[in-house]
Amino acid sequence: MTDRIHTVVMNHSNATSLRYPKRLAVYAVIAAIMIIAPHIMPNSYWLRIYTMTGLWVMLALGLNVVAGFAGLLDLAYVAFFGMGGYTFALLSSSHMNIHLPFILVLPLAAFFTMVIGIALGLTSIRLKGDYLAIVTLAFAQIFKLLLLNLDTPVNITGGVNGIYGFDPINLLGFKILSPIAYAYLIWLFTIAVTIGSFRIKRSRFGRGWEAIREDELAAEAIGVNTTWMKLMAFAGGAFIAGAAGALFASFQDSVFPNNFDFPQLVIVYCMVILGGLGNITGVILGAVFLSILPEFLREYGAYRMMSYGLILIVLMALRPQGIMGEVGFLVKKKVRPDKDQSDRLKASTELYYDEDAKTRETTESRPQYSKSTIAILELKHVTMDFGGIKAVDDLNLALHEREILSIIGPNGAGKTTLFNLISGIYPPSFGSIYFEGKAITGLKPHQVVKAGIARTFQNLRLFNKMSVLDNAKVGQFCRTAAGPLSILFHLPLHKKEERQTDLKAKEILHLFGGRLTGYRFDQQAMFLSYANRRRMEIARALSTESKILLLDEPSAGMNPQETIEITAFIKTLRDVFGYTILLIEHKLNVVRTISDRVIVLNDGIKIAEGSYEEVACSEQVIEAYLGRKKQQIG
Amino acid sequence: MDIYLQQLPQQLINGLTLGGVYALIAIGYSMVYGILGMLNFAHGEVYMIGGFAGWWVLHLLTRNNEVLFSAAMVIALMIIIAMAVSALVGVIAERFAYRPLRNAPRMNLLLSALGVSIFLQNIVLTYQGAKVRFFHISALIPESLRIIEIGPIVFSFMRALVIAITFLLMGLLTVMIKRTKVGKAMRATAQDLEAASFMGVDVNRMIVLVFLIGSALGGAAGTLVGLLFTQVDYYVGFQAGLKGFTAAVLGGIGNIYGAMLGGILLGLAEALAVTFLPSAYKDVVAFVILIVVLIVRPWGLVGEKMPEKV
Repeated sequence: MTDRIHTVVMNHSNATSLRYPKRLAVYAVIAAIMIIAPHIMPNSYWLRIYTMTGLWVMLALGLNVVAGFAGLLDLAYVAFFGMGGYTFALLSSSHMNIHLPFILVLPLAAFFTMVIGIALGLTSIRLKGDYLAIVTLAFAQIFKLLLLNLDTPVNITGGVNGIYGFDPINLLGFKILSPIAYAYLIWLFTIAVTIGSFRIKRSRFGRGWEAIREDELAAEAIGVNTTWMKLMAFAGGAFIAGAAGALFASFQDSVFPNNFDFPQLVIVYCMVILGGLGNITGVILGAVFLSILPEFLREYGAYRMMSYGLILIVLMALRPQGIMGEVGFLVKKKVRPDKDQSDRLKASTELYYDEDAKTRETTESRPQYSKSTIAILELKHVTMDFGGIKAVDDLNLALHEREILSIIGPNGAGKTTLFNLISGIYPPSFGSIYFEGKAITGLKPHQVVKAGIARTFQNLRLFNKMSVLDNAKVGQFCRTAAGPLSILFHLPLHKKEERQTDLKAKEILHLFGGRLTGYRFDQQAMFLSYANRRRMEIARALSTESKILLLDEPSAGMNPQETIEITAFIKTLRDVFGYTILLIEHKLNVVRTISDRVIVLNDGIKIAEGSYEEVACSEQVIEAYLGRKKQQIG
Repeated sequence: MDIYLQQLPQQLINGLTLGGVYALIAIGYSMVYGILGMLNFAHGEVYMIGGFAGWWVLHLLTRNNEVLFSAAMVIALMIIIAMAVSALVGVIAERFAYRPLRNAPRMNLLLSALGVSIFLQNIVLTYQGAKVRFFHISALIPESLRIIEIGPIVFSFMRALVIAITFLLMGLLTVMIKRTKVGKAMRATAQDLEAASFMGVDVNRMIVLVFLIGSALGGAAGTLVGLLFTQVDYYVGFQAGLKGFTAAVLGGIGNIYGAMLGGILLGLAEALAVTFLPSAYKDVVAFVILIVVLIVRPWGLVGEKMPEKV
């Protein structure tokens, strides 16, 4: 099996490398355009538009990091742009009589803005969607009010009059004075930001952000440090905006409060949305289009902002994925391995058994399961109190290594709450949880996953718009460590981890026979069948390389055949791969087949514990499921 | 300190006036949020259009600094027409910009609302220009009635009128929601849209009604502020919208009584802040309150904290 996966991986890396001639040709064309373009502009007016287009593209790509990749509606973005501009203005002019060289001011402006971005992120990180939008909008308003009013008592910002007359840029002896030099300088940075965007999108960061955008709680529960990743998104966006602000200030040779106001914010948002949130090529085209378009509609200037409003409304109603999203010729042609020669569709089960024959031999070489008595997970007096209602009440539980322990109980017994407590989604009101002897009480979900406990969700929380392969790859987030620098510069750590992630994800998806492999790697999770989505949930949890799996009703909604299959699979996970499994299940035949032990919960209290047969005979259990006998009431 | 104490009753009156207006705007945000879970970004613009409608009525009915009818009738006409125009704008926005997105992600709705906001603002800019329009209220109120003195407190007749009208409107809304069948249907829809539709409530009609009432109140607020501060321009909606939203969040968004309380508290806070700070920072105070509330108590003063269902 391993050999086959290796060949898959090799093919993949060939396709993306520079050796691919088509790709090389595209790069050459872009480079040629970049070199020639500033010289063929008809006049200085168009040269200026060309340069400004570069700035807009850069700004839009920065916003795309926050709003597109991570899905955070950051309306303070334009304030970060302004902060970069004003930092440059203050440190490189006679206004404060500070004359730092450009090579120092540009990083300073970018880093200072990034720090503010992180600070704003820290205060507002817990807020979702609309609330975040409003806080950031209020922040942008405060920033603008400060720009306008901080000219008294000490003149810092110059008020309405702004600051002008900056030091000329001197880059290691090259003076940037002519408009052509500016065009090259700004587009150079724009290209750098573009390359960075592409690299970060195809990394653990990109996948982590996308997961957060799709389902924040699921992302956290599968090991993505959502707080950290959201801060990184704020930081990245602010960094780019800050740098763009400094470049803009130098290019315009002045800064005014109304350079960094609401209309500019709206324009950048329109660019990003027109291109499609998160779609880099789209965002670049959107930015170029909306920078140049107004020049052709100059006599209709008054309608410009109005049309931006209309663009937003119409796009949201008709094409929320942007102009570039899912355009036919841009989408990779998909191989359909489930079609045979005569183009007839093969049934999914056929595929499964085809694959299964190949994988079966490998399973026997793995170490066999042996029962153990070491408690790998221990709950002591765990209580969850929802304002007076005790969903879980003083629960003690020991889960042994390589055990399959089922939790059953009527609806509302506290089973899922128990999972939420173990996986760190709720901190327990009382009591403690130990994993391998170490307390994990109060850890955040992603820390619990990192410690070695992964879970699935009862009501399917896949990252619907991500591919099957990427869904599995997200699970590897907590096992990888590449930071932004490593990703942006393709350092060895990042490359090694990407290879491993790819290998691991594919290996795990192959465990499900042909169900999640082949062309399905690139299929969005939402197009999977219901049973396959259930399998995908388990695959995602497996790819976190945890020791304990918390499976919340893995067979819910499956037909009898599928149930038998998934039951056997869960057993394999323990027998062959050595997982310890805690299982919530309503189907008692599943529970009977695979459980070593069963715990029965009712109203948050453990009412029975033991083998399936023991539990099934317990008076209390029968009472909880069926009610009391008649004579007992009377 | 003494001088501050002397100013206090005066500032309380100012705060109450402003607060009443904020409350009217906040109700619109809160009602829409309560029923659709969306932030109607364009609500500030609806308020601004209400202001312009009121100005336009007054402008049409004034000849040579004399109003054509009695002052009371003119004021009533101004408010009613402002409410009607704003309600119409709100309902149109709902129909074309929000209804197609009923099942779309929240972010799309918010961006669409942002689009409506920009569109409305610029349509007014295009047809009205950027210049400030003045309400010539001298024609409305005779000189003798303009100032009212009660002990040390001096306030204009307009202020008293604005307070009276805002509280009247809020009272009417409360009665409507608490006592009528439509009110009950509305509350049910806010609780659970689907369940309400199963019980035979025409949910679409309820949503239109919510936009209608919320926008009408916003429009009334626009005209009342015009009467109070005697001016309106195309850009006032942006700030007012943010203030209204702040008020709604302060009280607990989705909760109408919270919006009323939040509006009045915000008005008072701003009025008191002006006593101590340069007036340019009045808005900073409001935004700082907003940020602090959202971070410390995002469910607001009277709202309920809901644990996230997993």
